[in-house]
Amino acid sequence: MAVARDAGRLGSGGRNGPGRAVRYLLFGAALFYFCVPMIAVLIYSFATRWTANVLPDGYTLEWWSATLSDHRIQSAFFTSIALATLTAVIDIAVVVPAAYWSRVRNARIRHVIDVAAAIPFALPYVVIAFGLMQFSGMVAPQYQGTFPLLVAGHAAIAFPFVYWAVDGSMAAAGIERLSETAEACGASPLQIIVHIVMPNISTGLVSGGLLSFAASFGEFAMAQIIGRGLDTVPLLSAEMIRSYTDTAGSYNRLAVITLLTFAVLFVLSAVVVYWNRGQTVRLLPGAVANDGGDRR
Amino acid sequence: MSGVSLVGVTKMYGQVKALDHVSIEVCPGELLALLGPSGCGKTTLLRCVAGLERPDKGTVEIGEIDVTDRPTRERPIGMVFQSYALFPNLTVRQNIAFPLEVQHWPRNQAKERVDELLELVRLIDQADRYPKQISGGQAQRCALGRALAPNPEVLLLDEPLSALDALVRGRLRDEIRLVQQRVGITAIYVTHDQSEAMAIADRVAVMNQGRIEQVAPPADLYDLPTSQFSATFVGSRNAVELDVKNGKVGIPGSFSIAAPAGSNGRALAFFRPEDVRVNKAGAGSGLEARVALKVFLGATTRLHLSGEADGRPITIFGDLPSRQARLIAEGETVRVDVDPDHVQAFPV
Repeated sequence: MAVARDAGRLGSGGRNGPGRAVRYLLFGAALFYFCVPMIAVLIYSFATRWTANVLPDGYTLEWWSATLSDHRIQSAFFTSIALATLTAVIDIAVVVPAAYWSRVRNARIRHVIDVAAAIPFALPYVVIAFGLMQFSGMVAPQYQGTFPLLVAGHAAIAFPFVYWAVDGSMAAAGIERLSETAEACGASPLQIIVHIVMPNISTGLVSGGLLSFAASFGEFAMAQIIGRGLDTVPLLSAEMIRSYTDTAGSYNRLAVITLLTFAVLFVLSAVVVYWNRGQTVRLLPGAVANDGGDRR
Repeated sequence: MSGVSLVGVTKMYGQVKALDHVSIEVCPGELLALLGPSGCGKTTLLRCVAGLERPDKGTVEIGEIDVTDRPTRERPIGMVFQSYALFPNLTVRQNIAFPLEVQHWPRNQAKERVDELLELVRLIDQADRYPKQISGGQAQRCALGRALAPNPEVLLLDEPLSALDALVRGRLRDEIRLVQQRVGITAIYVTHDQSEAMAIADRVAVMNQGRIEQVAPPADLYDLPTSQFSATFVGSRNAVELDVKNGKVGIPGSFSIAAPAGSNGRALAFFRPEDVRVNKAGAGSGLEARVALKVFLGATTRLHLSGEADGRPITIFGDLPSRQARLIAEGETVRVDVDPDHVQAFPV
């Protein structure tokens, strides 16, 4: 995923000798593990038929042109991108002030946020989705199966990614001290968040935003339950797997969809890595400041 | 110009009394140093003036106006922190301009003011650098400029030199003092370093366990500490435990002064190493003592003198001009005399 890491710091052992060989071997193995499925899918998306041989019997662009011109697939991508973007934006808008508040004003809400952030991982999405469906059935039945409810659901399960990334960035930037200083300068809470907090946690915002985007983009169980009637990319893919037969070339088209999904996330990841040039992105809770404002 | 007045300020952290009915007056234009060991409440007191802490009891006034319930941003203060706390996303110039921006100064007026301050803190050449690209001393000067930018009535400095190395520390200390005097601003300066407090302040408030022990000009504090704590905390001092006899305490042949009120059998006598006179054995009066150790300190040499008083072994530290100390050898027996005017005794 889109975790930019300072690889140099991870590697230990000498520059030469067996340590080096082991590292290259591990790197090669990891590369193989990650790339072979992608390459296979890529080849499959261009294949006419792929039967007994290592490589396909022939190549065609038919699946790509058919997929790209399919209105249903286009709209599924549009829906998923809109869904994921809204999820990321809502999460950032909610989490940044909350994380800021928990650090600067009221450390007690920290426990609440920490527990809330663990829930999406402690409970299966299916359970959360059913709970959400029951609840929305009681308070706002007209929203069931609609886009806004799914956005709300995704925002709820994806927010820990934003929270951890943003909170780590805040620790690294020493946001408490910066905030106090800004306050002494006469800045209001809003001015502090806009002028001081946001610019100094940009790495956390970008990586957290991307992670929540990815979580929403690929989410299936919840979309299945509270987003019935909507076409998201995972829902459409599942439908294609279930209802088509291979004769129609549907699996090849599925390969195209998989690659497009990968492309969307890859482009976003590349943006993040570029944005965070030279900096380690902190995603884990409890990330400690080590290159913040304090220099001796 | 406005002063600061704190009346009965009390602050609890759970069961711990960080501030215990602290009352103090800071005169307009004065630099008051809050001096004390870590955990004595000096920073908490400063934060109460800044509004970053809310006192549980008591009032804070700045220029006769009660600001106890006002949030930090509505108080006429400028603040400098130990960690500089420059905004890393802004250049030196933008950092200094920040308070003016958030307080909606007219653009050209703000620019003029920022230029003025860049000159005052000597950062014109670094104006467009980011905090990462300047040295610690420059960073702290930038923080000082930022604190002074909006013409605050009170300047609050929280251990501003602690993060700097010794050489820069001395220079910046004098520079802060010069700027403070030139601007004529009331300032409160928190430090745990007594020499720093002495060097910079008009008056020093010695704090201990959430209370103010003594407030006095540096010279008075140095010469006449009024409490045992300020006596031990300020400057290096001899502390000798002695018996009270006939309402007096003293070292036979060296000094004898009236016992402090409330002393019960014993008292602690304080005197400075520089007030100790050392004579060759046989010459003059004084306690007989052996030179246990000579420590060369440059202009002066410190002698560790072992003797006996009231049946107990004691060690007295005496500072002599180094040229004079050269005449005395380690292991030699000497006579130690102390000027009674510079001895203070407190009940044990």
